[in-house]
Amino acid sequence: MATELTVLPTQNLEAFKGVKKLPVEEYFTSGHRTCQGCESALVMKLMAKAAGPRTVILGSTGCMYVANTTYYSTSWVVPWMHTQLGSSGSAAVGTAAGLKALMRKNRIKQEPINVIAFCGDGGGADMGLSSISAALTYPEYNFLILMYDNESYANTDIQLSSMTPYGANTTFSPPGKARRILHKRWKKNMAGMLAAGHPECRYVATVDASYALEMMNRIRKALTIGGPTFIHSLDPCPKGWDYDPIQSHDLGELAVETGVWPLFEIEDGVLKFYGKSKSIAQGRKRKPVREYLLRQGRFAHFTDEDIDYFQKKIDLMWDRWLIPGAVCIEMGDDIRKQLTRAEQEVAAAEAKQ
Amino acid sequence: MTGSIEVVYRGIFQKTLGQRITRGIVLAAVKEGRVGISFGRYGDSPERNGIPAKSFAVVADNEEDLQTYLSRYEPTDNDVTVAVDDTLCKGVESWAWYGLQPINKLTRSGGVVLTTSMQSPEELLEDCHRKDTEWSLAVLKGIASFSGLWVYKDDHTDVRVLGAIARLAPHVVKLESVEAAIRDEWNDELKVTSARKAYERVEARKVRPDEGNPERPYEFQLPKWWEMKEGLVIPGIPVQQDVEGWEGGYRPGRNPTFKKFATRTMRPVVDFEICTKCTLCWLQCPDSCFDVTPTGHYDANMEACCGCGVCEAVCPVENCITMVNESAFGDNASQFEMYEKDKDTYKSWLKGKIEDKATTDRTHGFQLRGKYEEEVQEIIREVTK
Ligand SMILES: Cc1ncc(C[n+]2csc(CCOP(=O)(O)OP(=O)(O)O)c2C)c(N)n1
Ligand code: SF4
Ligand code: SF4
Ligand code: SF4
Repeated sequence: MATELTVLPTQNLEAFKGVKKLPVEEYFTSGHRTCQGCESALVMKLMAKAAGPRTVILGSTGCMYVANTTYYSTSWVVPWMHTQLGSSGSAAVGTAAGLKALMRKNRIKQEPINVIAFCGDGGGADMGLSSISAALTYPEYNFLILMYDNESYANTDIQLSSMTPYGANTTFSPPGKARRILHKRWKKNMAGMLAAGHPECRYVATVDASYALEMMNRIRKALTIGGPTFIHSLDPCPKGWDYDPIQSHDLGELAVETGVWPLFEIEDGVLKFYGKSKSIAQGRKRKPVREYLLRQGRFAHFTDEDIDYFQKKIDLMWDRWLIPGAVCIEMGDDIRKQLTRAEQEVAAAEAKQ
Repeated sequence: MTGSIEVVYRGIFQKTLGQRITRGIVLAAVKEGRVGISFGRYGDSPERNGIPAKSFAVVADNEEDLQTYLSRYEPTDNDVTVAVDDTLCKGVESWAWYGLQPINKLTRSGGVVLTTSMQSPEELLEDCHRKDTEWSLAVLKGIASFSGLWVYKDDHTDVRVLGAIARLAPHVVKLESVEAAIRDEWNDELKVTSARKAYERVEARKVRPDEGNPERPYEFQLPKWWEMKEGLVIPGIPVQQDVEGWEGGYRPGRNPTFKKFATRTMRPVVDFEICTKCTLCWLQCPDSCFDVTPTGHYDANMEACCGCGVCEAVCPVENCITMVNESAFGDNASQFEMYEKDKDTYKSWLKGKIEDKATTDRTHGFQLRGKYEEEVQEIIREVTK
């Protein structure tokens, strides 16, 4: 006997049609204790604005918990709950299931409520990866997990995470005289990995708050499409990246323009680049990564050689990967041949007609 | 005799500076055969740039005195309070307490507040809150030294402050021991010269109880544990505030507890006449500072602004938003209301703020490789002249 899943309806959150059409209401507001120019705080604000008032937000430990809700003081307008550092996935499933049960038992009104769980890169890509992965296999619950990636354990004063870029200066990887580069690992691709590994997950995207409207519309799409969804946001962090906070917005743009941070979405298994990344994927020239790296104190020790290495890795990602920034697999010769043959056959068939 | 010094600094970008100063004091005291300890303020307070933090140095004649003095939460009767950013004279809102703490609150009666500044003591006194005993204000000429976290801008602010402390509180450390400590620690004669010049030049001005900013600092009472809701429930923020005379505009609700009255180093000023109402400042401000005015302009609310400058960076209209040093302002009033009341007065006020290059030229953090080295050379030339 086949079992049937009951999936609750979601809110139909249509894309905002332009900055002038945005609602004035903030659901994450002023009075948090983040750094000057904290892009992660901006992510919270835009995320809450996009989701609207009927939303429950769950926050993993990290800057966005500690700085936003210190002892008896908060900046949240919508209901918010603190959850443990590695448990954004389980908190999301648990809350969505709890709401569903309460509605079934008529304890609360039946209405679509957005559930968003956020986590930092430490809480998401390191400690919470298994719980996020587990959560993304539950098709019967509607929720979004948003990982805000400031590329370090920023709250506890910049320890490196698996999302810290190659070579960056952190408390765990200070450049020294004997070894200039202490952190030699390359960042993993959370969005690509989660999309590839979770067939029940209908929506995965990368976002960048410097492109606010596009970012908010990705949030709305994830919440509307329903089921478990995941968004990965890259957040310039003046403290961890070490730059004058006035540059936060510019660095967010530079990350995309240099190709370091590709913007894409995978909806029902179909991949699309969007924004500036779309034109880059179509052949538009990328800015040199040097422009991005030399604005940040965490790369101040880089020599030309290090910058070249970084550039080469980014080039490789765009030129050779199956999906730039997401799937670090190249096509093997036989597959390439097979594809070429298939293309030729289609072309021949078309020519005949 | 026990002596204690507190260094108040702005979050993480001045952390190394703060630590070098308090460490230097202890090293100097050791040269005199005394003992000491340098430590950061306790609190569940990961440092953020912009938000004030503290570092302390306590020195004593012997271990026993030191231990006796330290059996408390933190020093509350400091011989010298050092503010390494003069905008901190407006008050300190840190993580560990609520409301605004006057900069001289933990300075003992007869003690000194020492700040690096380009302002005169009289100008600074407009900011420093009144105290009911006599105290002194000393100014070490120089701009606030901001470097990033990983890149230290060694513009001699550390040793200059040490030299000044030797002059202002010789019972804590003497100049000779400061010089010896600098030689030991940094092995740099130029730094010794800097310390000595600061010692020679710094002057303290006595401040009477009836002098200084008469305002009552913003206060906030935390609820007692029995007043809190079960399960550590914190009341959410209402979505909107009604403002009289702002019908048709919009002011978001704001955290009533933590305001940014003194967490800024700079603030934006807006030329409403050339603003195209494009919304970008409002949209991209991480602190949700902008109130939407009845005319559809965007007014940066000083209850919320942390002075990051992102609004200036995103504004597409040239010279429409300009970041100006916080020290150029005496209140937190609405710029839009001032503009509505009298456009001409506003225009000349704005002009005055923007054209004063001394107050608009300020950085707080790593900008470009090489830039610091240039700046530092210039500053060192200036201070050792
Ligand atoms: C299980 C556990 N280990 C360690 C900590 C201490 N801790 C608090 S915040 C934090 C850093 C979290 O980093 P990340 O998830 O990247 O978020 P960010 O601070 O960068 O916003 C750590 C390690 C904790 N709260 N719980
Ligand atoms: S450390 Fe980074 S993420 Fe944390 S509050 Fe500061 S800028 Fe934001
Ligand atoms: S400086 Fe501008 S962007 Fe930054 S907090 Fe203030 S109003 Fe917002
Ligand atoms: S960004 Fe500049 S032009 Fe646009 S609304 Fe703000 S002040 Fe006006």
